[in-house]
Amino acid sequence: MSTTPILELRNVRAGYGSIDVLHGVNLSVRAGEVVALLGPNGAGKSTTIKVISGLLRPSAGQLIVAGRDVTGASAGALARAGLCTIPEGRGIFPNLTVRENLLMATFAGHKLSDIEESTYSRFPRLGERRTQLAGTMSGGEQQMLSLARALATKPAILLLDELSMGLAPIIVAELYNQVAAIAAEGVSVLVVEQFARTVLGVADTAVLLAHGSVRMSGKASEIGDDVLAGAYLGT
Amino acid sequence: MNENRIQTFTEEIGELKLRGARADRERWLLVIGTVALIAGVAMAVVGGFQASGTTEMGDQIAFLATGTLIGLALVIAGTALFVRYSLARFLRFWLVRLVHEHRSETDRVVEALKQIEGKLDR
Repeated sequence: MSTTPILELRNVRAGYGSIDVLHGVNLSVRAGEVVALLGPNGAGKSTTIKVISGLLRPSAGQLIVAGRDVTGASAGALARAGLCTIPEGRGIFPNLTVRENLLMATFAGHKLSDIEESTYSRFPRLGERRTQLAGTMSGGEQQMLSLARALATKPAILLLDELSMGLAPIIVAELYNQVAAIAAEGVSVLVVEQFARTVLGVADTAVLLAHGSVRMSGKASEIGDDVLAGAYLGT
Repeated sequence: MNENRIQTFTEEIGELKLRGARADRERWLLVIGTVALIAGVAMAVVGGFQASGTTEMGDQIAFLATGTLIGLALVIAGTALFVRYSLARFLRFWLVRLVHEHRSETDRVVEALKQIEGKLDR
């Protein structure tokens, strides 16, 4: 794993109109690292993801990607470069089939046949359902599709917002195994997760966010239950 | 992957064209609107006084054109910006309040359902 951060937030403040949600957030992700961004509901996790993906412009601070200050860059430009976001609620096209959803990922210049091959070898279940409407699949399969669609763009940085939302624990564990495999290929992953225990097993580093500020950050293995309880319960 | 991918990524990020704009645009437009409104009123008043202070028709027209007319145009533009962005702020606050109330309402309903459930289990 490289020691140079591929993604950095420096003293980022951001919010919606005059309502500030992030109050000076500092965060860094190195190449090939899995960073878990944890925190209770309303801590500012999704806002952080929006800032990083370029959907929300910070009112102060810097967003540094691959060593360059890209504060203010559009979400489209960052996505085309290789910063891929899987939003909360999956971000697939429910009225399209699995294959058509993958077709939508060819905008990045990769052939559909190549995308299908890598997707179906990674997620065989999607291969069995290639002609099925995405919206009619189970939650876990839909999340697999959103992961597959993201990977089809060959991202350098992957942002995952609440991967486990509405899924059974066994499916979540399966998905996080895939996330670990993706990171092992060298993709940097920032995972936003409300259910901390599910992600700490695969994360290298964990950052605890509370009330729009970083409460603590460190090795994922060093985050104990007492620290999590403190952050989540506000003690 | 992945040295190559990271190298390509770094190059692509390096080539990004940035506008450098910030989220403060809305606040700045509100400030600009307020300033234009005040400046417009001041210009219109000064233009009016200057025009009334002379009996020369040519000077009066010049004062009215440069002071009052431009002032009125600034007042209109400033008012439009002020209303647009102050209204947006107000509606956003209102929306946040509604969302907050809705959440507390849901929490109360869930709590009440839990209590009912507890009593039924007994």
